[in-house]
Amino acid sequence: MTFDFAIVLKFQHALLLGLWTTLKLTLICILLGCILGFLVALARTSKNAILRGPSSVYVEFFRGTPVLVQLFWIFFCLPLVLGVELSNMASGVIALTLYMGAISSETFRASLKSVGREQLDACVALGLSPWARTANVVLPQAVLRAAPTLLSNCISLFKESALVSAVGMADLMFVGQNISNNTARPIEVLTAVALIYFVIAFPLTRAVTVIEQRILKRLAV
Amino acid sequence: MSDTAPLVKIEGLHKSYGGVVKVLQGLDIEMKAGDRVVVIGPSGGGKSTLLRVLMGLEQIDRGSVGFGGKPYICANGNGKTTIDAKVRRSIGMVFQHYTLFPHLDVIGNLILAPMKVRGEKKAEAEARAMALLTRFGLAQKAKAYPAQLSGGQKQRVAIARALMLDPKLMLFDEVTSALDPELVAEVEQVILQLAQQQMPMVIVTHDMWFAKNIASRVIFCAGGVVVEDGPPEQVLGSPKEERTREFIERVFHIKH
Ligand SMILES: Nc1ncnc2c1ncn2[C@@H]1O[C@H](COP(=O)(O)OP(=O)(O)O)[C@@H](O)[C@H]1O
Ligand SMILES: [Mg+2]
Repeated sequence: MTFDFAIVLKFQHALLLGLWTTLKLTLICILLGCILGFLVALARTSKNAILRGPSSVYVEFFRGTPVLVQLFWIFFCLPLVLGVELSNMASGVIALTLYMGAISSETFRASLKSVGREQLDACVALGLSPWARTANVVLPQAVLRAAPTLLSNCISLFKESALVSAVGMADLMFVGQNISNNTARPIEVLTAVALIYFVIAFPLTRAVTVIEQRILKRLAV
Repeated sequence: MSDTAPLVKIEGLHKSYGGVVKVLQGLDIEMKAGDRVVVIGPSGGGKSTLLRVLMGLEQIDRGSVGFGGKPYICANGNGKTTIDAKVRRSIGMVFQHYTLFPHLDVIGNLILAPMKVRGEKKAEAEARAMALLTRFGLAQKAKAYPAQLSGGQKQRVAIARALMLDPKLMLFDEVTSALDPELVAEVEQVILQLAQQQMPMVIVTHDMWFAKNIASRVIFCAGGVVVEDGPPEQVLGSPKEERTREFIERVFHIKH
């Protein structure tokens, strides 16, 4: 058996287009998912049961079901339920945003909790209003503490995004699969696809460690 | 306010946690503007709770606290406590555990409240902060983060942070008990300096030397009530009450 990795170069343009779709999808869903996740974390830690109930159900449901099932549901069932056509991209964004929102809300929730009661007492003793307390003390500390785990969440999302190929979105995985089928060269093409994912994810996983150490150094009182 | 009117007037103060743990059981304390009150008493006796109530951090069950002749804290009977936020702003507190904001540098810790609470301009607040830090020998630490400071430095910064709001009363809750012994003096010196400037204060401490040097008045609290209250020479030197005597002998290893 001989390998011909030159075949990968022949399809480099198609692969890059696929990568672009993957990155676009991932970045949009990171942004929207983090905003959703933060709001949901606030809702889940609030005293208001009407906020707490639905937000908890949402998070537990999305954490407790396979992403692939969520994707299929949103691609095939949501349009029927809503009675509207959804583009592939729209469905992908909705599905992965909801997934990212669920996992990042847990990250935010843990970091919100990590801001101790002593810090809040100090805020009251200094006369800070509830708003100033949240904006200037709780939020900055929570975001800093959340940063490493949040980055891990982003990496997970980037990798999980390959699942959208199963519903026909032309992302990196989908393009790779097509090329591998058409050329009958799965080893070369799928190895190249794996390497592309790895080259992007690996530096980020290293960054998680570095950020963790920096933040520990800064925030350890 | 005349010199003789009490600065703080605590009347019939009852405080429990969840209605079960009865901590303060009918406390009456009057404090004059010139007083520096040291509160001593057994661990778990409610000293921290008393200071937290005075700081407006706790709900109370019964009683009231007046400040400068005006009502400050009041139990409404229906389980709710009214706390006058404006009065609260004129009281500063330093805690046993470090409570600096870890994400802000020293100067950031000092100027946050003046800017957010009083709307002071950043440059102005920074200038005042630097002056305070210089006075406390911390000028070179202005840009350091709390994690880079020793325990003694952290507590001095915490004191400076409270002073930025020009408090009319300072509360110190065992501010040196988490410190290594060699760092205690630098913090106590700063508080003694404040005492010389006639800052009214309530201090909880287990340090006999410090208590003797700073107190104009010592209160021995146990079982949620005031057991003995008087000048330091009397309460620390020749206590009238048997319980006070026992406590002082045990904690300060002094035989009368
Ligand atoms: N937040 C709280 N919830 C329940 N119990 C508390 C709380 N804070 C203090 N206590 C209890 O109240 C009592 C008095 O505590 P504290 O005021 O800290 O005493 P001290 O400062 O004199 O050691 C203790 O029995 C303590 O366990
Ligand atoms: Mg205590």
